[in-house]
Amino acid sequence: MKSPAWRLSDQHREWLLNGIAIAICAVFLFPIYWLIVTSLKTEAEIFRTPPTLFPTAVQFKNYIVESSGGFSIYRSFFNSMLISLSTMVISMALSTPAAYGMARYNMSFKKTMLLLFLVTQMMPPTLILTPLFIIFKQARVLNTYLAPIIADCTIAIPFSVLTLRTYFLSIPKELEESARIDGCNKFVAFMRIMIPVSYPGVIVSAAFSFLFAWGNLIYPLTYLTNQAMRPLTAGIYNFIIAEYGISWNRVMAFGVLTVLPVIVIFISLQKYLVGGLTTGTVKG
Amino acid sequence: MKKSRAEAGDWAKYLFVLPALLFMLAFIGYPIIYNIILSLRDVSVMTFQNAKELVGLRNYVQLFTESNGILNLSILNTFFYTAVCLIFQFSIGFAFAIFFALRFRYASFLRGLAMIAWMVPMTITGLMFKYMLSPSGGLINEILMALHLVKEPVEWLINGKTAMWGIIITNIWVGIPFNMILLATGITTIPESVYESANIDGANFLQKFFCITVPMIRPAIMSVLTLGFIYTFKVFDLVFIMTNGGPVNATEVLSTLAYRMSFVEFNFSKGATVSNVLFIILFFVGLFYLRLIRQNEEVM
Repeated sequence: MKSPAWRLSDQHREWLLNGIAIAICAVFLFPIYWLIVTSLKTEAEIFRTPPTLFPTAVQFKNYIVESSGGFSIYRSFFNSMLISLSTMVISMALSTPAAYGMARYNMSFKKTMLLLFLVTQMMPPTLILTPLFIIFKQARVLNTYLAPIIADCTIAIPFSVLTLRTYFLSIPKELEESARIDGCNKFVAFMRIMIPVSYPGVIVSAAFSFLFAWGNLIYPLTYLTNQAMRPLTAGIYNFIIAEYGISWNRVMAFGVLTVLPVIVIFISLQKYLVGGLTTGTVKG
Repeated sequence: MKKSRAEAGDWAKYLFVLPALLFMLAFIGYPIIYNIILSLRDVSVMTFQNAKELVGLRNYVQLFTESNGILNLSILNTFFYTAVCLIFQFSIGFAFAIFFALRFRYASFLRGLAMIAWMVPMTITGLMFKYMLSPSGGLINEILMALHLVKEPVEWLINGKTAMWGIIITNIWVGIPFNMILLATGITTIPESVYESANIDGANFLQKFFCITVPMIRPAIMSVLTLGFIYTFKVFDLVFIMTNGGPVNATEVLSTLAYRMSFVEFNFSKGATVSNVLFIILFFVGLFYLRLIRQNEEVM
């Protein structure tokens, strides 16, 4: 959509558009900058008016959280990692073959199964919260890491199945067929040919599975009453209500640790993520 | 006795799908049915073990007909929140999508950068904005006061009249990149030649927008709106973190109400009833979405 009546040289146009785009991004991503800056400020500086754009004295004290009431920021980080990585592994182990099966073979009830995955993607997490709580309580998995992991997988699996299926569909059938002729069976052909060829899809699904679990609040909050086992999202909540008045710099330090893996994932996978998001949500 | 390859292959293909399917049936299918049963009983922490008696639709009737009904209020709040968020995040997202569809060097990189906002866990987003909206030292009030738009700090999340708007502002920030990226993907698939021939015919910007861009990405627009509705309608984290439904139920939405019924008041049946109401509403929107994608692409 280009139209300007005023003619600009190509180079000036480049400068202008990139400049505007950077300005939009800067304003838009400002809250994340504010999160980081606040985490480095002292208690006194936080309430200074007008607020300081750069911390006058950078301090990392907020990152060293004295564990009041058996609660440690680093233990929480570890808990988050454990829950998210396990969710990712289980979700990928179950959804990759399922996506492949539904992309490659005709089977009865295929439409119904696809529909099931699509519908579950739209469900509110609150829907299964109470029944799973009762089921987990009876099965004695409440207050174990398994409880939030299972619950998080119910979000990650349908997303991964749908994203990966679209990827597998885009890969020519001949690839595994030739492997089959060379004597591989269905499963070997799938493992050796399909997974390596469709790695962008596999990586994106794995990253999103991780992120779903990493960001989830409601499941660990409900299923882990033991403070020491809570991941960052539930831990930080706990930390706000426990303190008398919110000490924002400490909360923000907590927030930075929570956002850190998100930014690492974004930087390393940027080119795959946008495509993954569109295939996973719009194309179903 | 070896089975023939074709025969073995016939059931083997089901082995691919079976684990995922069983998992979903056990941890989603069964809980959904269980939830319906729960809502038809009277299960609380007291009657936890042996509440087998069915009370029929009593929970639903009670919640809907209560005087000053909290359920009705939550439904209204959820719809209000969703509608306002959708209008703003869609129009701002669309404007950004059009801008970033212009061809310049870092367009796709910078557009992608906005995705970070969408990827930040909602808990942290809620806290970031809670801090920025706070009456003492909150950046948003400082800016508004510096611009002389308000005389004294607005108690955004503490005042019943503004609390919902505080949460809405936050969610618009989250929703913009989602709308922008999906719409931009649609826009970039429109062939340049269509615009070129429109230019020859002397079409202006608005004509091109309403006669080419909008009709050609109609499927993407419909998807973004219905998916946006579904995601926004089931909001939990933002409300829970920022106001926890308060002040005095001003921001109570269906998800937080369901949570409160089950895990603060420990009335599991009431909680299940509320989440079923939420589910029924989303189910109909979901049906609409399924019809949409079935029309637009041959996914099924």
